[in-house]
Amino acid sequence: MSQAPVGQPVATPPWVLAVKWLLIALTLAACTYLAWLAVEGGSWLIVTVVAFLAMSVLVVYSTRRGITMKYLLPGLILLALFQVWPIAYTVATAFTNYGDGHSLSKEEAIEAIQAQSVRPAPDSARYGMSVAIPEGEEIATAELSFLLTRPAQEGATGEHVVDGQELFVGTLEGLEPLPVEGVTLRGNGTIGAAPGYRVLTLVEANERAQDVSAFAVPVDGDLGIKAATGTQAFVGRATTTYNPDADTMTTLEGTVYVARDGNFVPQDGQGPALPTGWTENVGLDNFSSIFTDSTLRNGFVKIFVWNLVFPLLSVGSTFLLGMLLALLFNDPRLRGKGIYRSLLILPYALPIFVTAIVWAAMFNQDFGMINEVTGLNIDWLGDPWAARAAVLITNLWLGFPYMFLICTGALQSIPTDVREAASVDGAGPFRTLWSVVMPLLLVAVGPLLVASFAFNFNNFGLIYLLTGGGPFDATNSQVGNTDLLITFAYRLALESGTPNIGLASAVSIIIFLLVGALSYVGFRQSKALEEVN
Amino acid sequence: MKRTTGAIAMAGITALLLTACGGDTESEDPTSPAADEADAPEGDDEGATSDAGDAADETAAGGEGDAAGETAGAPAASDGTSLVIWADDLRAAAIEPLTETFTADTGVEVKVQVVAQEKLREQFKDAVGQGAGPDITIGAHDWLGELVQNNVVAPVQIAPDVAEQFVPESIEAVTFEGQLYAVPYSVESLALIRNTDLAPEVPASMEELVENGQAMVEAGDTELILAQELGKEGNAYSMYPYVSAYGGGIFPLLEEGGFDGSKAILDSPETLQGAEKLAWLGEVGALSTNQDASNVIPNFIDGKAAYMVSGPWAIDQITEGGINYAIDPIPDFADGGETAPFLGVQTFYVSAESLNPQIAQTFVQEYVPTEEIQVGMFEADRRPPALTAAAEQVQSQDEDVEAWSAAAEGGTPMPNIPQMNAVWGPLGKATADIVGGADPAERMATAQTEVASALGGR
Repeated sequence: MSQAPVGQPVATPPWVLAVKWLLIALTLAACTYLAWLAVEGGSWLIVTVVAFLAMSVLVVYSTRRGITMKYLLPGLILLALFQVWPIAYTVATAFTNYGDGHSLSKEEAIEAIQAQSVRPAPDSARYGMSVAIPEGEEIATAELSFLLTRPAQEGATGEHVVDGQELFVGTLEGLEPLPVEGVTLRGNGTIGAAPGYRVLTLVEANERAQDVSAFAVPVDGDLGIKAATGTQAFVGRATTTYNPDADTMTTLEGTVYVARDGNFVPQDGQGPALPTGWTENVGLDNFSSIFTDSTLRNGFVKIFVWNLVFPLLSVGSTFLLGMLLALLFNDPRLRGKGIYRSLLILPYALPIFVTAIVWAAMFNQDFGMINEVTGLNIDWLGDPWAARAAVLITNLWLGFPYMFLICTGALQSIPTDVREAASVDGAGPFRTLWSVVMPLLLVAVGPLLVASFAFNFNNFGLIYLLTGGGPFDATNSQVGNTDLLITFAYRLALESGTPNIGLASAVSIIIFLLVGALSYVGFRQSKALEEVN
Repeated sequence: MKRTTGAIAMAGITALLLTACGGDTESEDPTSPAADEADAPEGDDEGATSDAGDAADETAAGGEGDAAGETAGAPAASDGTSLVIWADDLRAAAIEPLTETFTADTGVEVKVQVVAQEKLREQFKDAVGQGAGPDITIGAHDWLGELVQNNVVAPVQIAPDVAEQFVPESIEAVTFEGQLYAVPYSVESLALIRNTDLAPEVPASMEELVENGQAMVEAGDTELILAQELGKEGNAYSMYPYVSAYGGGIFPLLEEGGFDGSKAILDSPETLQGAEKLAWLGEVGALSTNQDASNVIPNFIDGKAAYMVSGPWAIDQITEGGINYAIDPIPDFADGGETAPFLGVQTFYVSAESLNPQIAQTFVQEYVPTEEIQVGMFEADRRPPALTAAAEQVQSQDEDVEAWSAAAEGGTPMPNIPQMNAVWGPLGKATADIVGGADPAERMATAQTEVASALGGR
């Protein structure tokens, strides 16, 4: 606690140094661990980033230089990780066709298509299988062979048949009969032991699982005996093969598929594409389809208009109600204000996930409370205008406590002498409210109104849980009458016929730009309010 | 300050150089930015498809779905030593004790991991896409097309004589483009559930059901003719029995089994005939868009309806509500329209990225098709087993099972082709509008146009 003389360097106590180096060491250790995980996963980008972080930490905190950087670095790292990276990633995705059926790389897709096309040969035998290696060799390196059994067929010679099972040994060279001497069978008909071989158990064979999967004993033509399970093998072949020179897929029937737009499509244009496709760059296609596809474009304009109206009306109605209540409950003559205020805040305290669903049930035309109590027969969730009203009513109920809260706070901070001065000058209550209280109030809550606008602009939870964006017009099941851009993007990304994350990323970038522009204008306006002071 | 910036730049360059050197020794390509780190913020699977099969299911399973709170982080993944199975809470609890035989036979330890039902499909897809994920996942058959598209599941080369032991529809359900991808364990469908106190007789036809229902409503015994899920956004799964009653449907059936996903038949004369019936049911008030997942089962339990069309997931609540019930097939129309429901099949999928492919395949091909596991799974979710022998064994203990099997008769498995994802939304909304009074022919034509353009745009 000694007062250091100003202008002279302070001698750092040794324990502080020790803690500092310990923390640095811990950070480096954590980074090393992360990098090691990333190396195992093969993501070199992550390794680079982690290594960069580790070096930065070491440089900034181990030296005496760069005092400002010591304070800024953690913030910068978090900013990059949680703000810049997701944005960059979204932007990168917006230029691809990433989505269902286009989630693999082309190499992976080619491999997957061929693996999926492996079919058993018709009427072929099913073999009992044991994975074996030559006796005395290491499991990890030994040459594999399949010891196979199948029910003996007519004409099989006795020396290869035991207990009605014909014995074979299958290698990469082909299928050979296996003499019965010394061979014992297990209960399921597979070979348990054979001279010269070590039969692997399921767990032992699992050390070579990928090799076993790839292993095929060639039999006539392109057929091969492959493992079906750990104890059974089947005769099959890949019915679709890739031709790397022409970049085409050919099926057994001779249909040729060419690579086009992230899929293998039939060369003659007849029939569907092969199901597994790949991610590829599509340039500005996603953006141009927002503006050229008539369904999307009309939907976008319609949704955008509602997306402006909804937050404006929401903020306006909640602010009006909240402010009126705040003025009412701010009156010094009112008793029991604490209780009223606590009760009014309740809707704000309940989670929207509960209230929105409850409101959806209350708006039900036949079974809902609202029609029952009011005696109306409005199809709240089925009629476009009624649904919009329902959304606004629900949001009014959800949102006014917040406005009430901030208005109460702002009102209490307005000094009473200002009002007194107004009344001394002869202003009536309305004149005081309009010319004195309101301007002062708006200075305080203006930025919050802008923030509330931005929040409601993206009020996904309410729309999704209350109306699901609906009701929908008959001609278009993608664009609902209460949809916001964000629920629209969600539907495109995850719920539409072909979930298309690339397109949804493009839509969210446009939403990002819109919200940014609107907020900028909004804050400029609210700055003008401050000039009252 | 300037020197610090320089130092950081140096640090960065050094780091880049170091990793670049490291990168050379490993021949593996850095994956493309989009495929890399693909844990995009995909929400739960309230997708169109699950609207069909599982939405009701989810409400039925109720709060239990959230019990999987323990899996807040990434669930355990296939690690090359033990067999990892992912399932929702209900099925995880059921499969866990059933793996003991397998462990005793093979010495392979089995880890069962609970994943919340509404997240299972998405998490399975994402995790396997990252090269992680389980060896086996228990899920619904209509995920299949999507899983194959993204190379999430591996083919299952089941022995033909084993495949023959299953209910044929269940094998059809797990077949995609001629290839088998999973081993089924149960078959479920919609059926007519009747409050036997209010309606002691089985209605012979939909017309009779409506007549009886109207009589009960007029007498003040009930408020609804029929309780059946539809909702404002419609429900293609729930309405399919009526739409397809005259041979129409969604996609034409292929001779070799499965559906031809290249064209939809929503505006075929047969489908329109079914849609007319849908309009009639809406007109008489048997169906209503105000009936949705939140009120159908409660209305039935409160005695507000004597008839309900629902599935096995409703039974627990009905029993708890103390209702005397009977299960029958959905009645046909008097003029010969046969109301066959969609079949939903629960299956065991094998991950395409499993580190224990032979062990996983051994489990699903040699142990799942046993009565022990099939009956054991039945005890958990009360869906009729897919293995014929197990179904027969269970039928002798539980009379509901026979009724469910009868209700499923003639049903077709929900299409598992990815094209189906383009149909659930437009067809669902069309059913809602038609019940609400829209002209069937016009409305189905619009839906057809929309589906066709979605399919053409693939």
